Order: sequence, then structure tokens, then C-alpha cells
Amino acid sequence: MPELEVRHLSKRYGKTLAVDDLSFSVDSGRVTGFLGPNGAGKTTTMRALLGLIRPSAGEALVEGQPPAQMTDPLRVVGVALEATAFHPGRSGRNHLRVLAAAAGIDGSRVEEVLAMVELSDAADRRVKGYSLGMRQRLALAAALLGEPRILILDEPANGLDPQGMRWLRDLLRAQASEGRTVLVSSHLLSEVAQTADELIVIRDGRLVAKASLDEFTSGEASQLRVRCSDPARLAEALPARGAGVARDGDAALLVGGTNGAAIGELALELGIAIHELTPLRSSLEERFLELTGEESAG
Amino acid sequence: MRLLRSEAIKLISVRTTWSMLGIGLLVEALFAGLYVGLVSLEDVGPIREVQTSTGLLMVMLLVLGVLSITTEFRHGTASTTFLASPQRYPVLVAKLGAMLAVGLLAGLAFVAVNGGLALPLFSSREGSLPPAGEIVSVYAGVVVSFALLCAFGLGVGAIVRNQVGAIIAALAFFFILSPLPELLPGNVGDYFPAQAIGSLHGLPEATEEGLGQIAGGFVLAAWSLGLWLIGTVLIRRRDLNE
Repeated sequence: MPELEVRHLSKRYGKTLAVDDLSFSVDSGRVTGFLGPNGAGKTTTMRALLGLIRPSAGEALVEGQPPAQMTDPLRVVGVALEATAFHPGRSGRNHLRVLAAAAGIDGSRVEEVLAMVELSDAADRRVKGYSLGMRQRLALAAALLGEPRILILDEPANGLDPQGMRWLRDLLRAQASEGRTVLVSSHLLSEVAQTADELIVIRDGRLVAKASLDEFTSGEASQLRVRCSDPARLAEALPARGAGVARDGDAALLVGGTNGAAIGELALELGIAIHELTPLRSSLEERFLELTGEESAG
Repeated sequence: MRLLRSEAIKLISVRTTWSMLGIGLLVEALFAGLYVGLVSLEDVGPIREVQTSTGLLMVMLLVLGVLSITTEFRHGTASTTFLASPQRYPVLVAKLGAMLAVGLLAGLAFVAVNGGLALPLFSSREGSLPPAGEIVSVYAGVVVSFALLCAFGLGVGAIVRNQVGAIIAALAFFFILSPLPELLPGNVGDYFPAQAIGSLHGLPEATEEGLGQIAGGFVLAAWSLGLWLIGTVLIRRRDLNE
């Protein structure tokens, strides 16, 4: 059973379809990056997984159950949704004490998580005076409070300096290696590229790709350049096998939607000699921009 | 109980709670002092003196009730609050408990200031006090009304959710709109909060023509709990994007 699962989830706000028939699952023991441009529906999906919003269709499940049925939620799932979600007049420590009291968590755990996120010294200051990075760390402390089996973090890297990013990465890796489920959203691929084992990419509320980081970076789904003895015949035969073909100059073909083995076998059937079969690896960033349909800024 | 503790920490960990109650009690003391200086308690009766002194505290408690829920939406803490209790209504039960307690404590503080300041001064000046029974019933009415005012604010806040909108709605309804039905023929006005709180305080013009003290209390309680119930049902059904 996957720890988190979304089945045919749709969420409509008025005329806007924020999430559109989205399905995926998230397993334990790894860090899953939840990627998409701003407005792709990441936060909506996370809120549905937490039972904060009601799906228009489909369902979101935590440990196989609807989130509203969780009996001890803070020990099951730790959440950091927005770095700004604090009462500005309350101190960091009191914010955590409020949550700890609601979940029946001992006060000593508050001190533990404050130390973990290195906020012990600032804990009695009002959140009003915190930097964005400090708020992010306080939000993380709140997520870790119940020693939950699942972590759901919405853009936790926002506002962190490079040092903070590294610290976050180490923390998430450690949590995953202890067998926890970690779902981290981001609109910047570079933020999760070094942390995530698995990537879920969405755009306009729809699933664009779900793959391991290796699959995502490897040529599996990208194009191959093919040179052969009879490019015209091969180009004719490939679409029947579900591949997309484009010409690359006079002699070469660019083939997508298939893999090297399938092209080689087809060529053998047709008696065509393959001269070159090169996977064209695009960088992670390019792949992401390509998948989400955004133009590269450069 | 966990949630009630959580709500209690929320209330005592922000300055707003303390400053609003502090200012309300300070103004109470000032009014009590003014009364002592200007009028005879025998002429106006304890109810007038008390009624005048409660004014600002009533506003403060109504607003505190509103804030107890709207700040959660304003500052985005609603998500974490309701995450700890996915059924949601236990949070509103805890908030109701916390606000009733705040109102009761504020009422007792009011009584302490009024009884500890105004009564001795009146007594030393006039040599006598109204019957103890009369004073106690006025004080009891004030304590109960304070608790119900907090609950009333919570109910309006849970329905409206927007902080400024809810404060305006609660104050406008309670202090401006709800006295209006009194102008209508018949006794419709008795069943609106403004007149009901007058009855509950034992205000002569309310109790003599309209409901008695206890009936007034029940009417105000019905309003407060009714609004709270509507707010709770709405929050259970609503999407929480804050």
C-alpha cells in the first residue's frame, strides 16, 4: 500500500479546474519531489491529501484512508504548507506549544524540534520579527513535532540561503532513510534535483511525468539520433511502432517515444544497417521546462 | 481537553487578549469613579452604574470572540489547527469552551473591580448600599452576559471568517441593528440580542416591559449558540485554503 495516494483527483474552483483527473502514489523510504510551475495545482493536491479541501471528484488517501479519518493526525503526517502561516504576535515556541497541546505531545518535544531547526535562541521572539528562512525552519519544526511517518512540505526551500538549502537536503534525506515518506513540492527543479529519488511533475492540474530521478535524467523518454543505411524507409516504418520521427539534416533521424532496442530490432526486421544510435540526453532543467511547456528563461 | 488547552495557549500567548481586557477594565474603573463622583447610587440604582461601566468591555469581548477564529484564517493557522482535528467540530467546541471561560473570567474581573472600587466608595459616601440581593443579581447577569458575548463573537467570526468583515458585522448587528426591532409594535424586539442583554443585566426598562432576567439570558444564549452552530456547520463543510 502506498503511503500517499491520489486517485482521479479533480478540484474545481468556480470555472477554474485546479486539479484535473490526477492520479499518483508516493512510497515510503524516499524523497518524492512534487514539481510544477506556479499555479499547477501542487498546493491544492496537498491540501486534498490533508483533508483540508474536499475533492470535486476522485479521492486522496493517506495510508489507504481518507485523511478525515486519521485518529492521531500529527503523528501520521507532518505538514509545512506556508511559511507565512503564523500569528505574527505569537512567539515561535508558543506556536509549537499550541500544536503540541492539541496533539497531546509533550513539551520537551517542542524544545527538541526547536533545537533541530536551530531556532532555540530565537524561540521566545515573536514571529513578526523572523526572516523568511526562520519562518521556513519554524514551519519545519511544526511538521516534525509529532515524529510523523509522512512529511508533506510545500515549497520548503523558499527563502532559504544556500547553507539552509543544504541543511534542508540533509534533513529530508535523513528522514527518508529512517523509512519516512517525504513529499516536497517546488516550482524549481534545481531545488529538488539533489534531494529527490522520485519526481512527480504536474502542469495545469494534470500529471505530466512520474519517474525516478534516474529515469527522468536518462534518455528513456527523450529522443535518439539515428543514422542508418536507409533513413527514409526507417522513418516510414517507425510511426507504426508508436515512435515520433523528425529529420535531423539529410542523413539522420530524431526519434522519440521509443527506445534504442525497439529501433534496432525494427531496423533488423527491415534489413537496415544502423550506423549510429545516440540517446540525446537533455539536462534535467530542459526536460522539466519541456515537460511543463515553459520557455527557458535563457 | 487537549484542544481546550491548545486554545487557552493561543489566547494567553498573544498581547491582543491582554491589552483588550486591560483597556476594558481600566475604562470600567474610570466610569465607576465618575459615577461615584457625580451621582448618587440611591438615585440611579446599581444597575445604571454597572450598565454604563460595561460598555467598552462588552465591545472588547465581542471582538475577542470574533478574533478567536478569524485570526486563524487571517494568518493561515487554520490549516494546522484543523489538521490536528480532521473532524473540525471539536476545534469549535474547544473554542466555545475557551471563549465562555474568557467571558466568565472577564465578568469576575469586572465584578472584582466594580465591587472592590465602586461599592466601597459609594458606601463611604452615602453610608448605605442597595440591597445585597439586587447587587448580586446585577453582577450575575453581567458575568453570564460576558460569556455569551464572547460566544456570540465566535459564532459571527466562524460564519463570516474575514476578520474586518466579521468585526463590523458583529458590532453592527449587536449594537446597531438588533436594538431596532424594539421600535416595532409588539414584543418582537425582546427577542433580539440588544434587548435580551438589557433584560439579563436586569435593566428596569427591559425587565419591566419585556423579558425577565433569566428569560433574557436564555434568549441571548439561544442567539450565541445558534450562531456558533451555524458557523460550526459551515466550517465543517468549507474548503480550507488558509
